[in-house]
Amino acid sequence: MRTLVVAVLVAACTLAWAADEVVVPPITRATLDNGLRVVVVEYHELPLLEFTLIVGAGAAQDPAGKEGTAALVAGTLTKGAGKLGADELARAIESLGGRIGASPGTDGTIVSAEFLAKDFAAGLDLLRQVLLDPTFAKDEIRRARDEQEASIVAALEDTSAVAEKCYAGLLYGAHPYGRPVDGRSTTVAKLGRGDVRDFYERWYRPNNTVLVLVGDVNAADAVRRLREAFGAWRGRPDAVPPRIAPPERITARRVLLVDKPDATQTQIRFGNIAIARNDPRFIPATVGNTILGGGFTSQLIEELRIKRSLTYAAWSQFAARLTGGDFRIGTFTKTPTTTETLQLALQVEGTFRTHPPAPAALEKAKTYLRGQFPLRIESPDALAGRLAEIEFHGLPEDELRTYRARVAAVSGDEVASVAETLMPSPDVVAIVVVGKAAEIRAPLEAAFGPVETMAAAECENLSTRKR
Amino acid sequence: MPRRLFTGFAALLLAVCPARALELPVVADTLANGLRVLVHEDHSAPVVSSYIFYRSGSRNETRGETGIAHLFEHMMFNGGKKFGPGAFDDQIEGHGGSTNGFTMRDCTAYLNNFPREALPIVLDLESDRMGNLALTKQNLEQERGIVMEERRLRTDDNVSGAMNEALYLQAFVQSPYRWPVVGFMSDLQHITLEQAHAYFHTYYAPNRATLVLAGDVEPRAAIALVRRYFEKIPRHDEPPPVDATEPPQDGERTAVVRKNAELPAVLIGYHGVAVKDPDRPVFDLLERVLSGGESTRLYQDLIREHEIATGVEASNEWGIDPDVFWVYAQARPGKTAAQLTARIDAVMQRLAAEPVPADELRKAKNVLQADFVKGLKTVSGKANQLGFFQTVFGDYRAMFGLEAAWEAVTADDIRRVAGARLVPTNRTVIVLEPVHTGRPAREGPPKAGAVS
Repeated sequence: MRTLVVAVLVAACTLAWAADEVVVPPITRATLDNGLRVVVVEYHELPLLEFTLIVGAGAAQDPAGKEGTAALVAGTLTKGAGKLGADELARAIESLGGRIGASPGTDGTIVSAEFLAKDFAAGLDLLRQVLLDPTFAKDEIRRARDEQEASIVAALEDTSAVAEKCYAGLLYGAHPYGRPVDGRSTTVAKLGRGDVRDFYERWYRPNNTVLVLVGDVNAADAVRRLREAFGAWRGRPDAVPPRIAPPERITARRVLLVDKPDATQTQIRFGNIAIARNDPRFIPATVGNTILGGGFTSQLIEELRIKRSLTYAAWSQFAARLTGGDFRIGTFTKTPTTTETLQLALQVEGTFRTHPPAPAALEKAKTYLRGQFPLRIESPDALAGRLAEIEFHGLPEDELRTYRARVAAVSGDEVASVAETLMPSPDVVAIVVVGKAAEIRAPLEAAFGPVETMAAAECENLSTRKR
Repeated sequence: MPRRLFTGFAALLLAVCPARALELPVVADTLANGLRVLVHEDHSAPVVSSYIFYRSGSRNETRGETGIAHLFEHMMFNGGKKFGPGAFDDQIEGHGGSTNGFTMRDCTAYLNNFPREALPIVLDLESDRMGNLALTKQNLEQERGIVMEERRLRTDDNVSGAMNEALYLQAFVQSPYRWPVVGFMSDLQHITLEQAHAYFHTYYAPNRATLVLAGDVEPRAAIALVRRYFEKIPRHDEPPPVDATEPPQDGERTAVVRKNAELPAVLIGYHGVAVKDPDRPVFDLLERVLSGGESTRLYQDLIREHEIATGVEASNEWGIDPDVFWVYAQARPGKTAAQLTARIDAVMQRLAAEPVPADELRKAKNVLQADFVKGLKTVSGKANQLGFFQTVFGDYRAMFGLEAAWEAVTADDIRRVAGARLVPTNRTVIVLEPVHTGRPAREGPPKAGAVS
């Protein structure tokens, strides 16, 4: 009943409040002459300004042999700009109680900033200098490179991070989506100022950037100020990266065992290539994923955690990127139950993809997603992030407004179809197990056949080999 | 997945500062059975957040049953009298809500974020488990295994988690803060159903709880609804107060943690003060002068000037009883824990010797103020803070008095407290000695068995 009401309201394109409808605030969109896409939403609950920018270049654009460049650019972007040295810039930002940060990803780099509304002029000016006039001082690049090399080493201590990195390398191989965003220890060591400048000059351009501002502003005034601040940023015809070829599925089961000799617990990841973020099946895929491995009443939680206490957590996820992505399952368990847990997780997933969901499970997942949606866009920074994602992936402008109605409309047949086609057969998956090899290698081999073994530090090289 | 997690570092997230302009309107009431009810009205989205804080955490445990507060938190999701096993999660998610819980040293909290229509069912579920939790052998065994996995994840196989556990064990002798929130593995193995029953009866009483509702509710109607579901639950006798009197520390304590790790690190804990101590705001400012941004002193010294650390952080842990003020630093490859400690000492000595310049103190106050605003972005964040202040400070309005206390802190206060407290004789130093097994040596052949 409730579902029907929503659908009617959305069809009428109303923004009026109703018992079950979520009001998405008015969204102002503009494209500057230089190609910069600007999105502004007024938010008056708190005196804050939340900027989220996505520059459309990340690790996927790292030149061959120079993996880690996008991350190094992000790492030095805020280390001096305009007339301000690194320390002066940090002091200027932090004196306002503000923050500017750059976070490198695979398809893009997110630059985010947060200021109090009263500091709009000063904060915007600092953000403008960071984006348009970064210094990239030689000494700062050396420092950032040292930090990046150290962070690659430090990440080896985190078993979960090791599992994610090794899984990406095993599944994607030499495809750009398999590259570790921080680069490889051998490539980062060789990066210099020229590499940083070249990457910045090529990709950090208004026609390759989306800027979202959600804050305590007047939208028209904000667009005017953004135009003033960023109007002088010069575009470049080749700033938009050529489309990356979609990754291809692996066609057989591959098992990689990463040795952590003193681990008491094993981290497990498995999956295969699935869909891009803009795939029309993304919403039914999200509903199916929720039944299998989202929330706290999922099938994975039921079987692995509640019935057998094998783990504290188990989840599934569509990691959907610009031109492709993967579907993955993750969990962890004590060393002796490693093989049992992996087999069970594979079995739960295999059963799900061949059995249509029960109507009650489908309804619950849809109600859950619809009920949680307003909470997911409640904070101004979360809303800014969602809007930037919409622009970056070229999703429909009414993505947020229609989200709940589209979830409500998903049928059991659609879920069954995405489960069968987008979730991998348990026989055709990339499996990564990070744990105490001396104890778990034999049972894994008994259950799955040949197992490749490597040290955690070697996973970065998986991204250089053909699958 | 942050589910029913124990949060050893949670106090950091809550160390925020209210600005006068942002004082939250709250309608407060206390039921006849002692249940404190706080309602904050916010109609910006059709959602509500509920938190129930129980004034009981690992602080209320005794030796031999460490971890029972957190294990118990898990057991709270497995049914009451009206709702059977599995019904809690099913009902919350089936009504579009999400649910979770967390345990700290001072308190345990249960939260739900849901569409406003679900308020009656949420109150029905929460009152059912507060009044009539079903404690069964099966429930205990199920959660025992899950919590042991959680301990492996966060402590046994986590380098900084293991260091944190070691710090509290060394720093405290008598205070119940000394044992880890998650508990010792041997205690987790041995906790009995009888102990769980006793714990429930002692601590899960309406007179030890605060229920907070924030979001799309009308306060009077919401309180009337709360009465309907909770009024019938009887009040329990108060247990004897916790004695956390700690013998004075006469000299520096040190301990070494050897783990499979890549980089040396140090975790230094200085004895601090209880949340209500007049010097607590001074420690809060010290935290922001020392860390939290690239212009802060520890970052400037250890990362910018001397280039010996990958990261550095300081935190003033808030507790009903005196907790610690800790500093953590991880060494760059080739650098040592001794080098980190030496620079941290130098930074602290300067704080004790020279007054912090006015603009630097102003900056630290601005950061605290801005962080307070940022903590109020969601109804869940607001409900969490109201419940935390009511439970740990004894009055949610303590939130609104903090900014004045911070503003009153002077450069002289900073120098005085740094000189008296952030000194070697008042601290415990945990040194991480990495055991390198996770990667082949930089030079020479790979270790046997590491590669195939």
